[in-house]
This record gives sequence, C-alpha cells and structure tokens, in this order.
Amino acid sequence: MPRVIFHVDMDAFFASVEQRDHPEFRGLPVIVGSPPDQRGVVCAASYEARKFKVRSAMPSRTAGRLCPHGIFVRPRMDAYRAESAAIMEILRAVTPVIEKVSVDEAYLDLSASVPPGGDPDAALEAAVPIARAIKERIARERHLTASIGVGANKFLAKLGSDFRKPDGLTLIRERDKVEFLKPLSVRAIHGVGPVTAQMLEAKGFATIGDLQTRAAELPSVVGSFAADLQARAFGHDDRPVDTSEERKSISAENTFLHDTDDRPTLRAALKEMAADVAQSLAGHELGALTVQVKVRYRDFTTLTRQVRMEDPVTTAREIYRLAQFLLARDRLVTGPLRLLGIGVSTLVPPIRRQLRLPI
Amino acid sequence: MKFSVSKEKLLAGLQTVQNVVSTRTTLPILSNVLLQATDGQLRLTTTDLDVGVSGVIDAQVEKPGATTLPARRLANIVRELPAAEVQIEIDSKNVASIRCGQSFFKILGLPEEEFPPLPKFEGAKTFTIHQQALRDALKKTSYAISTDETRYVLNGILFSFKENKLTMVATDGRRLALVDLEVEFPRSSEGEPIVPTKCVTELGRLLGDEGDVRVSVGDSQISFEIGGTLLVSKLIEGNYPNYRQVIPGEAKERITLERETFLNAVHRVSLLSSEKSNSVKLVFTKNNIEIAANTPDIGEAHESLPVAYKGREFSIAFNPEFLQAPLRALPNDEIFLDLIDEMSPGVIKIQSPYLYVLMPMRIS
Repeated sequence: MPRVIFHVDMDAFFASVEQRDHPEFRGLPVIVGSPPDQRGVVCAASYEARKFKVRSAMPSRTAGRLCPHGIFVRPRMDAYRAESAAIMEILRAVTPVIEKVSVDEAYLDLSASVPPGGDPDAALEAAVPIARAIKERIARERHLTASIGVGANKFLAKLGSDFRKPDGLTLIRERDKVEFLKPLSVRAIHGVGPVTAQMLEAKGFATIGDLQTRAAELPSVVGSFAADLQARAFGHDDRPVDTSEERKSISAENTFLHDTDDRPTLRAALKEMAADVAQSLAGHELGALTVQVKVRYRDFTTLTRQVRMEDPVTTAREIYRLAQFLLARDRLVTGPLRLLGIGVSTLVPPIRRQLRLPI
Repeated sequence: MKFSVSKEKLLAGLQTVQNVVSTRTTLPILSNVLLQATDGQLRLTTTDLDVGVSGVIDAQVEKPGATTLPARRLANIVRELPAAEVQIEIDSKNVASIRCGQSFFKILGLPEEEFPPLPKFEGAKTFTIHQQALRDALKKTSYAISTDETRYVLNGILFSFKENKLTMVATDGRRLALVDLEVEFPRSSEGEPIVPTKCVTELGRLLGDEGDVRVSVGDSQISFEIGGTLLVSKLIEGNYPNYRQVIPGEAKERITLERETFLNAVHRVSLLSSEKSNSVKLVFTKNNIEIAANTPDIGEAHESLPVAYKGREFSIAFNPEFLQAPLRALPNDEIFLDLIDEMSPGVIKIQSPYLYVLMPMRIS
C-alpha cells in the first residue's frame, strides 16, 4: 500500500494567536517573548516581524534593534496550549494515526484514508482534497492558517509544509521528489546540524543534489550517518508516524534578570525548577532515568551535562541533588550565569522494584 | 644511577606498584614509576595523585640515584627479558639503558623532581591490624560499595574506629555489608575515615596471610604499611550516612542454610530471571524454600531446598546478584537468613561479627 503522510505546521503560531486575539495587532510586526529592554529571547515572530529578520530564539534585545516598532507581547503559554489542543482535535477527526511533534505541528498518516491502488502518486493526489479540507476547517473554526506538506514519507511531508509558507499546500509526488530535492541545501535534512553541514560543505556538498551525485563518498565524510543521508537525498524515509503519546523529556529553565553566580540565588532557582520538573513528572505518572543541567554564560556559550541513573528519579529533592552534583562535578559555575536549566529524560514508569535502605 | 637486580624481583616489584598508574592521564609523569636506588635497595613508587604505592626490592647498587620511567612499558620489557639478571643504567638526561643477556633496551624517562611526593603523615593516629583479618574483612564488605558517582561518600568503605573495634561498612543504598574487628587503640585515636574504592582494591591485592599491617590515619589521608610496601590514599571527604538505623531489629524468622547449596541454587535459577525484573523469588513453606524465576516469553526456573522452617508461608524477592555476592565472599559452611516480611530487609549473618542487610524487590 503506498504511504500518504501529511505534515501540518501552524504558521507563526504564537504570533498568529496574538494577532487573532488582538485585532489591533493585525498587519503589524508582533514579537512574542521578553520585552526588548529585558533579558530573554523571542519565542515567535509574526511574518511582518520576520521581514525585519527577527527570528525565534534570538535575544529580545537584538529583535528590538532589528525591529524598533515591533509589538512585543508576553507569551501566554496556556492560551497556546489550549489552541493546540483544539487544532489537534480537528486533525484527530481526520485520522487517529497522528504524531504530535510539538505544540504547533503534527504528522498524519493518511495511507488508509485514500482509495487502495498500486500507484503512489495517484494515492498522494487523492489525499490533497483532505489536506485542503483540514486547512479550511482550521481557518473557519480557529481563524488561523496552517501549511501542509503532502508526501510519501515524513521527510518529504515536512519539506512540503516548509516550502510555501504561510497558508501553503505542497504536494511532492514520488516521480518529482528527486528533482524537488536537488536544489535544496543539505541543511534541509533532519539530523544535519551546523556541524555536519560544515563538514559536508567543506567537502563540496552544498545541495542535496551534490549528495545524490556523490553518494558513494559520504561514508568517508559522515561515517555511519551516510546511510541515512543517502536515503534522504533520494527522498527515502521509512520512519513511521509515531502515535504514542509518550513524553520524551521534561525541562524547566530560568533566564536571570542579571547574570549571576550568587550561590543562594542559583540554589533557589535550581530548587524551584526541580520542583516544577518533579511536579510535571508526577502529573504524567513518570520517573526519569536521565537528569540534565543546562547553563548559559554571558557570551551565550551554552553547556549541558547529564547523568544516567539506575532507578527512576521522581522527587524534587533527588532532581535537585543530581543537578547540584552535575554543576559541581563539571565545575559549570565558573562565572556569572545568564541561564540555568534542569531537564529529565529517558522517562519510565515511576516504579522502583528494588526497595531502598533509608540511608 | 646504576644497579643490577634479579629479573624476577624487579618484575614482582613493578607488579606491586603498576596498578595505580592510570592509562589515561593528562600528566605524563603519572604514567611513570619512580625508581630510587640507595644502598642495596631499589624503591619503586607510583601515584595517580589519589592513591600511591611504594615498594622495595633488593638490588646491587653501583651508583645510587633516582629517576622515573614509563611504568607499564618497563614492566612489559622486564617480563620478556631473556636472562635472570638485569642491569639498568641511567644517564644524566634520564635515559635508561637496560641490559639483560644479549638484549639491550633504551627508554626515555623523566626527572625525579617532577614526580609528586607521597604525603607525609605527622601526628597521625596509628593502628595495628593482622593482615589476614583485614583482608578477610575487605572481602566481606567491598562488593557492597556503591558505584553511583552521584553519592560519592558511598564510593568507599567506612573504617569506623570506635571503642576498641574497627567496624567496616559498605553500602550502595540497596544492601549494606558490615564487619567488626577487634583492634586495640586509645580513645583519642577514634575516628571514621572513608577509604575510597581504588585504595580498597589495592589494599586487597597487597595484604597477605601473615604479619600485621600498620594503618595511619591523617586528616585527609590514610596509609597502610605492609612489610616494606606503603599504600597511601586520599580519604573521601564528607559524612557517612547513619548506617546503624537501617539494621533491622528482631527477626521474625531465622532460616539456617548451607551456604554453597543455597548459592548454587540461586545461581542456577537466576539464569531465568529476566533482565528487566532481575529478581528471584524465595517462597517459604513448611520445611522448604522454593527459589523461582521467570522471564516472560522465555521461560522459568525453580528449585526446592529442604530447610528447617516452621514459620508462616510467605514469599520475598531479591536481586539475584545481590543475594549471591555475600554468599560468594563468605567462607562459612552455614549462614543464617533473618527475615521479617516481604517488604522488609533480609539479613544474612554468620557465627562471627558480620551482617549483610539486603532490601527486597517488589513482587510484581
């Protein structure tokens, strides 16, 4: 059976929700995040703000400089989460085979929703009206726009949703995919981060087309990643749409108003974040085998360190203790910190089968 | 510096000290063994800055002196040398010429001055313990040392010198092993140093059957003198948790077991304990223990042991590895297993002052 995958991606999600809820912001550069005269970063920027090269994760101060007339809005995470739930509800009505990637994007597997038949492109084309209907329903009921990519796998669907934004609908046919990929940057491939991209570019691989023509050279450049890279270059991707609702990680972080290495301040922040993370774990009825700390220094250098435990960690006290351990072991607080964070991952049922001595 | 030495003695001397040398070190000098030739003696010393070992062998010293040479490389060379007598000469640039039979080796050393000295103990408290007794006590406790680096105070053995007793304790939070030794010392020498794992391992290797070991405890260091060999280690800083509180009081049931029979049965059954649950179940019925394990989709195992048991019927589960570790370490033919109920710690005891507290696993 040919596969039909959608990637549904909300357009400038947080900013669009703000523009919808505040009609006076419409058509104006809206920047969701910390105010430009304070610490912190941009969470999302409206398309109007993006024209000024404002990007998410950029320090608010920089955004303020690039876009002096930008409207800075404090994020309302609860509102976005509620909106996300409403949109996922619309998607779930189309198919139960859905993988929520984040608050504003999801993969849908429509393979079973189109008439059976042998031709992959016929199946993809048959699914386009379904994609159009999803976009219409989101626009009608939620007054927001989404971009959807339609392809035979997750990789192609994601490229499709990204191809024409906002309010796009892009179908990548199987017979066109190799040509479609040719001009794209190697950075368009999931897993190719800045480091791998630099490695590839240093060897003259700038576009996916380069990967296609010189696929045999890849193992010597990227080692074991070569097989995946070769597959992606020709538009192959057999990752399934993962419908499990599993949380993969939980984290909390804190950007300080002023850079600080004051131990009581850091301890208090750590304690609070440990409590937040422990509460989230409890809420999901999970324990964690991996605990991580993250520090960001004045110059934005960011380090993370983690430790893997044998038994699931569940309590704030334990998370705090391990975070402290990591900071001390790797001497991470060598100067004032801009940001401090705690994360937990490798989430498992919070059961300790092995009982412990009260020691 | 120039000396001759028997190949056999030199190799033995190197083997005594070379364990401490770390293979991955940022300080090249720490890969080297310090060689000090004095009148009729060659002293060999190694350190990784946490633990240091120093030993002495007889040598015919023609020209006294000192140098350092790569420890493992030197040991590898000496092991392969063709004759019984080795002659080593070191020039002013710390280049060693090794001659043995028709073989000649030249290896480059580093100056002795770069070698970090082992700490001196002044005003330290000293104790004298019989070697075999200490070795035996280490064997009975060291398997319970925690390897969890996040609880570093547990990454060693507590040596609690109190009331003319040395109590040695190791725990990883799931089990605890404890031994008492009679040792005489004045009240003023009481103290509770924590000896790190690496030192415990070395000590276990160095201790023999005969003679005493002299233990010196400083504020942040400990040393063990065994004949001419000296082992020095940093202590773990911090307070050992209150271990007394986890030792259960009165047991409800005491079962006497043949150690080896029980060990072998647990071992056999554990072959079918799943990696995930990693437990064996002990089911107590009248005059019988059934040891059982199963792995979903793989299979199961059980074995019955006749025992003198008249108590109530109940089951308790343990990690098989934790159950076997003390059984392997103890020399006794007979052990006692004290139990309260399925959620309370089990205790293994013997006729002498030893105990092993083991927390059970939840039966799923």
